[in-house]
Amino acid sequence: MAKKPAPKPSRSGATGLQNPTNPQQRTYSIPDWRAERPDFRIEQVRGPGSPDDAGVASAGVGEGESVRYVVHGDLSAPAPPVRESKYLTREQHIELYRWMLLNRRMETALENLYKQGKVVGGVYIGLGQEACSCASAMALRKDEWLGPMIRNQGAMLVKGFSARDIMMQYMAKAGSPTFGKDASSHFGDIHERHVVSPISTLGDLIPVLTGVALGARLQGRNIAVMTWIGDGGQSTGVTYEGLNFAAVQKLGLVLFVENNIWAYSTPTDQQFLCKDLAERAIAYGIPGLIVDGTDACQVYDAAHEACERARRGEGPTLIEAKMMRMKGHAIHDAAQYVPRPLFDYWTRRDPIARFENYLVNVKKWLTADDNAKLIADVERQLEEDREFAVNSPMPDAASTPLETWCDGCHEIKLTYDVPRYPNEHKDAALKKHEAAVHLK
Amino acid sequence: MPEVTYLEAIRQGIWEEMERDPAVFCIGEDIGIYGGAFKVTEGFVHRFGPERVIDTPIAESAIVGAAFGASLTGMRPVAEFQFMDFIGCAFNQIVNMVAKAHFRWGAPAPLVLRGPSGGGVHGGPFHSQNPEAYFVHTPGLKVVCPATAYDAKGLIKSAIRDNNPVVFFEHKFLYRRIKEDIPTGDFTVPLGKARIAREGKHVSVITYAAMVHTALEAAEKLAKEGIELEVIDLRTLLPLDRQAIADTVKKTNRVIILHEDVRTGGIAGEVVAIINEEAFDYLDAPIVRITSKDTPVPFSPPLEEWFLPNAGDVVREAKRLVSY
Repeated sequence: MAKKPAPKPSRSGATGLQNPTNPQQRTYSIPDWRAERPDFRIEQVRGPGSPDDAGVASAGVGEGESVRYVVHGDLSAPAPPVRESKYLTREQHIELYRWMLLNRRMETALENLYKQGKVVGGVYIGLGQEACSCASAMALRKDEWLGPMIRNQGAMLVKGFSARDIMMQYMAKAGSPTFGKDASSHFGDIHERHVVSPISTLGDLIPVLTGVALGARLQGRNIAVMTWIGDGGQSTGVTYEGLNFAAVQKLGLVLFVENNIWAYSTPTDQQFLCKDLAERAIAYGIPGLIVDGTDACQVYDAAHEACERARRGEGPTLIEAKMMRMKGHAIHDAAQYVPRPLFDYWTRRDPIARFENYLVNVKKWLTADDNAKLIADVERQLEEDREFAVNSPMPDAASTPLETWCDGCHEIKLTYDVPRYPNEHKDAALKKHEAAVHLK
Repeated sequence: MPEVTYLEAIRQGIWEEMERDPAVFCIGEDIGIYGGAFKVTEGFVHRFGPERVIDTPIAESAIVGAAFGASLTGMRPVAEFQFMDFIGCAFNQIVNMVAKAHFRWGAPAPLVLRGPSGGGVHGGPFHSQNPEAYFVHTPGLKVVCPATAYDAKGLIKSAIRDNNPVVFFEHKFLYRRIKEDIPTGDFTVPLGKARIAREGKHVSVITYAAMVHTALEAAEKLAKEGIELEVIDLRTLLPLDRQAIADTVKKTNRVIILHEDVRTGGIAGEVVAIINEEAFDYLDAPIVRITSKDTPVPFSPPLEEWFLPNAGDVVREAKRLVSY
């Protein structure tokens, strides 16, 4: 019998194993670092009760028939322990904890400002998602770039923006990073912090961050670039176009798919059919990974490994971080459509409570006193920022830069280096030709 | 001076800018080994290498998004749309991500988004459009439509050097049909300035792109009857040269606005409004618009002929204006 040829190395990062019993098939596996694999399903049902009475199918309180969400599945398990990090130093653990605290407390302060009528428009809260914003951003180097989504304000803090910057954005102040021209997390910084401003439509940052990595590569650097997309946002076409482009060009995009179950009021069961969004990585030919988005150590380790791959020129990674959005889409949304058992399950998995417990009780790297001091220090800094932001002036059109064109106001500066092109052929001249064309 | 086609002029312009500035690179579909659907980038990949002349998947949103991202690191991308009819596939990236970036967060986007537009080549509804109006309507962009080989070269160079996103419409009918003597060496044509394509005194025709040549054809015919047409080639549609528009109206007092784009929402309406604001008292007759019909571009040659404006339309309207 002829010897089977050795399998060619796959150029795809999503390495598939040839099925030994059926050589026509390949099987893939997506690593899953979680300590638990909850299996629940959210269903739209019609039943007795009011629309606000979301709960398990057996609940039948109230009058009338309404359509609402119910959750099926065992949601009784307690929170698992935090997975020990392979990469974070002790100091970095504490730094990460501080960022998460700052993220959480800043958003509480924003909520209070909103209730005091000091905010223009709405507030977007990333409650329950602080580990995913902060731990991931910490894996980037100072000269690498990220593009946050609306709930990744923690990442902007890690990258060097202050709580007052974000507060002034929400209060539409003249001193905000956009001079009052845009709201919430819609700001960035090209030169110092390397943050790309998001826009309101979803998935659009994915090709943009890919392009940042392209620009860096043309300047001789393989960098990691990072952005996030939600379980809802990843449905858009531009998500596909951008990630596919990053994959085929092997550009170092670290993409966190933040599966927080709710896209505004739409649960994942109405968003896609896949079991896990990380499976999509197979289709792009890139590595995929599932992590517990409420475990800061898992998030950091995943980000770190993906960034290292990116820096080695091995291309993008798709990391699905599982968590839940613990408040509504925005502050006006009470999210009463969320079934109560689901809410309780994820409350037990608060990323900050878990990490605090880990640092104080498991690793004993913080005494109760250290912890209290740390929290007080965060609060003190926030109060300073809040005072500053509240007392700062509103913009005045006459003194705000409102031009739509840059006609010499900026210098277009190369971030890294003069571009180098290894395959240039300087002696090739521009020749005339008369080749066949598409339409005459 | 060497005689080059409109297409060759664009090729030279991009090539020279790439030799001049290492930050300039090309990105688009089939622009590498194939040299582009119309061969605008033929030979580029051999000279500059595939890292600098990048063939992309069929993903216009990714092309524009990635070009923008690269521009944030200081690069100057020249992104090609195989046909400008496909620019709609990137509409959100252009209008929301790119056009608003400088205003919102101080991120200038030095991109050129270029490609072939226009009809008269039996291309049908999806290979013949003039989508410029969507982008003239978007603050933050610049929109350029050259009509001559000289301007095509000078304007593509200016567009590449501009710190703002420039949507650059190359009229495909003109690609190989017009040939001019153009100077060698570096020269640029400024954005935002119209040009007097033909001096005249009886009627002004304000126009751009392929219709400039239609207007000049009509001018030849009218000259035999003693009617001297002035033809203004706008060249840049955003920003429009208000001064040039006002000046020609003040000179002739009778105006035709001619464009190949459809009538409703085409920029002729914008030019009429500008004339109203800048030179109303100088008008001796209502302003006339000559445009394509308000339909998609039909495919079959007799139908496309019905759809498009022609020199006969200009002759007829000019005579009517002269005797108003």
